[in-house]
Amino acid sequence: MIEIIQLIMDSPFLQRALLAAVLIAVVAAASGTFLVFRGLSFMAAGVAHAALGGTALGIFLQDSGLVPWFNPILGALLFSVLVAAFTGYAGESGLTQKMEVAVGVSFALSMSIAVFLMYYIPPYRVPQIWGYLIGDILLLNNIDIIMLASTAVLLGFITLMFNKEFVYVSVDMEGSIAHGMNARAYHYLMLIVSALAIALATKAVGAILVYAIMVAPAAASNELVKSVRGVIFSVFLIALVSELVGLTTSFVVFVSPSAIAGILAALAYLLALQIKRVRDRVHVEPKAEKTESDEMIDTFKASLVIDQENNHSHDH
Amino acid sequence: MTAEPLLEAQNLAVRYPNGEMALHDVSFKIKSPSFMAIIGPNGSGKSTLIKAFLGLIRPFRGTIKVNGFDSVKNSGKIRKMIRYVPQRDRIELTVPMKVKDIVLMGRLLKKLPPRFASSKDIKISRDALEQVDMVDLWNRPFPELSGGQRQRVLVARALASDGSILVLDEPLSGTDVESQDLIVEALDKYHKENDVSIIMVTHDLNPIHTLVEEVLLLKNTVIGIGEPCSVMDPELMKKVYGPTARIVEYAGHRYCMTRDSGIDRHD
Ligand SMILES: Nc1ncnc2c1ncn2[C@@H]1O[C@H](COP(=O)(O)OP(=O)(O)OP(=O)(O)O)[C@@H](O)[C@H]1O
Ligand SMILES: [Mg+2]
Repeated sequence: MIEIIQLIMDSPFLQRALLAAVLIAVVAAASGTFLVFRGLSFMAAGVAHAALGGTALGIFLQDSGLVPWFNPILGALLFSVLVAAFTGYAGESGLTQKMEVAVGVSFALSMSIAVFLMYYIPPYRVPQIWGYLIGDILLLNNIDIIMLASTAVLLGFITLMFNKEFVYVSVDMEGSIAHGMNARAYHYLMLIVSALAIALATKAVGAILVYAIMVAPAAASNELVKSVRGVIFSVFLIALVSELVGLTTSFVVFVSPSAIAGILAALAYLLALQIKRVRDRVHVEPKAEKTESDEMIDTFKASLVIDQENNHSHDH
Repeated sequence: MTAEPLLEAQNLAVRYPNGEMALHDVSFKIKSPSFMAIIGPNGSGKSTLIKAFLGLIRPFRGTIKVNGFDSVKNSGKIRKMIRYVPQRDRIELTVPMKVKDIVLMGRLLKKLPPRFASSKDIKISRDALEQVDMVDLWNRPFPELSGGQRQRVLVARALASDGSILVLDEPLSGTDVESQDLIVEALDKYHKENDVSIIMVTHDLNPIHTLVEEVLLLKNTVIGIGEPCSVMDPELMKKVYGPTARIVEYAGHRYCMTRDSGIDRHD
C-alpha cells in the first residue's frame, strides 16, 4: 500500500492518470447517463470517432502549413461539436431514430475524412491519429488534464443546474415546450457540452473505450436503479471503479488500463442484466398474475356493460 | 374572466413538412371558460389542432388564437396559461421517473432552473394524485405502472400545475370505465371549482357528454360544433364515421353508435 502511494507521489503521469480517471467518471455520470436516457448512447461513439477525424484534419492543416497555429485538439473539439449540432438538428422533433441515423452518418463521414487525410499526413504523425482510437491515460500531459478538468467541471455544473430540464426533454419534449420551457435550447446544450467532454475524454481512453465507459455503466445503472439521481451516482461509481481497477492492474501486469476499464464496465452491464432477471423472477411473477386476472375481470365487466347498452338500443 | 374567446380559429390550415394537409379551412369560436371536447376519427387532425394552438406547429394559412393571443406571435403568453398532457404514447419510458417526479413536473415546468420542489409543490402534487386515487403510488416507478394508471398520473400532472387552460390529448384512452369516471369527475370538479377551461381530445363522448359544454367534431376540417346534442346529428356522424354510424333514439334519449365510441347516449 505504502509502496503504491510512494509510486504515485513520485510519478506525475500516474497522478494525472488518476485525476483523469475521476474526471472521466464525472463525464460518464453527467453525459453518459442522459445520453442513455435519451436513447442516444450511440452518440458517444459517433462523437469519439468524430474527434478522431477532427484530429486528422487538425494535423493536416498544421503540417501542410495551411493553418500552422491549428492545434489538432481544436479539430477534435470542432468536429465533435458539429456532430452534436447535426444530431440535435435531426432530433429537434424529439424522434430518437432520426438522431441515431444522424450519428451514424457523421460517424462514417468523420472516419472517411480521417482515412482520406492520412495519405497526406507525414507518416510519423499518423500514430497521433490512432492515439485517438486507442487512447492512453498514462500519456496525458498537463494541458490535456486542464482541458479535461475544465470541461468536466463545466459539464458537472450544467448538469447540476439543468438536470431536470434534460430529463424533461427526454421524457416529454412536446409537453415541456407547451409549458413554456425552452426545450430546444436545453436539447442542444446537453448534446454539445456532452460532445466536448467526450471528445476530451477520447484522448485519454480512446474512441472505442470511451464508448464502453460512457455507455455501459449508464446502461447497467438504468436497469437496476429507479431514480435519476441514483443512476447518476451509480454511473460515477461504476466508471470510477472500472478505471481505477484498470490502472492498478496495469502496474502489475502489462496491459492497457483503459482496456481493463472497458471490459469491467461492459461486465457491469451484463451483471446488471442478470441481477435484473433474477429480481424480476422473484418479485414480478405474482404481480403479473394478479394484473392479468384483474384485466380479465375488467374486460368481463366491460363486456357486461356493453351487453346492457346493446340491449337498450335493440329494445327500440 | 375575459370577453376573449377561449379558442378562435380563422381559416386555419396546417400542413406537415411531408405535404400532408392535416387541417384545412378551420374556422370556429369557443367561449371562455369552457369544458370542451374535440372528437373525430384517427388522423382527423385533433392532435394537430392542439399543437397548432400551443404554437408547436406553425399554421400553413390562417390563424388560431387562445384567449385572444395569436399562436405564433404570442406563444409565450399562451404557454404561461397552458397545462398540457400529450397523448400517452408520447411520454418516453426510458427515464427512471417516479410517479411523484411526473406529477411534480407539472409544477416545476412553470418555475425557473434549478426548479427545486417546495413543500407546497409537494402538497399540491399529492392532492392532485389523491383526486385520481393514485397517491399510494407516490414512490412507484412510472414506467412500471399499467397504461391506465399512467394516464391517471398524467391527469394529476395537469391538475397539479398552474394555468387557466388544461389541454389533454386523449386522457381516457386505454382506461377502464372506473378510471374514466374518476378522471372525468376530477376534471369536471376542477373546472367548476377553479374557473379553468378544459380542452380534451377523446374518441368517446360517453363518459363526458353530460359535462362538456362544447363539442368540436373534426375530420380535417370542422364538421360540427356546438352542444353535445346538436353535434350528435345522424348526418354529421355518417359524414365522419361512415355509413355504419347510427343515431338511435330511444325513450327520449339519443344514442350515437359508431365503431369508434360504441354507444353514445344523449338526453
Ligand atoms: N409529424 C407528422 N408528420 C407528417 N404527418 C403527420 C404528422 N403528425 C400527424 N400527421 C398527419 O396529420 C394527420 C392528422 O394527424 P393527428 O395526429 O392530428 O390525428 P389525430 O386526430 O390526433 O388522430 P388520433 O386519433 O390517431 O390521435 C394524419 O393524417 C397524420 O398522418
Ligand atoms: Mg391524436
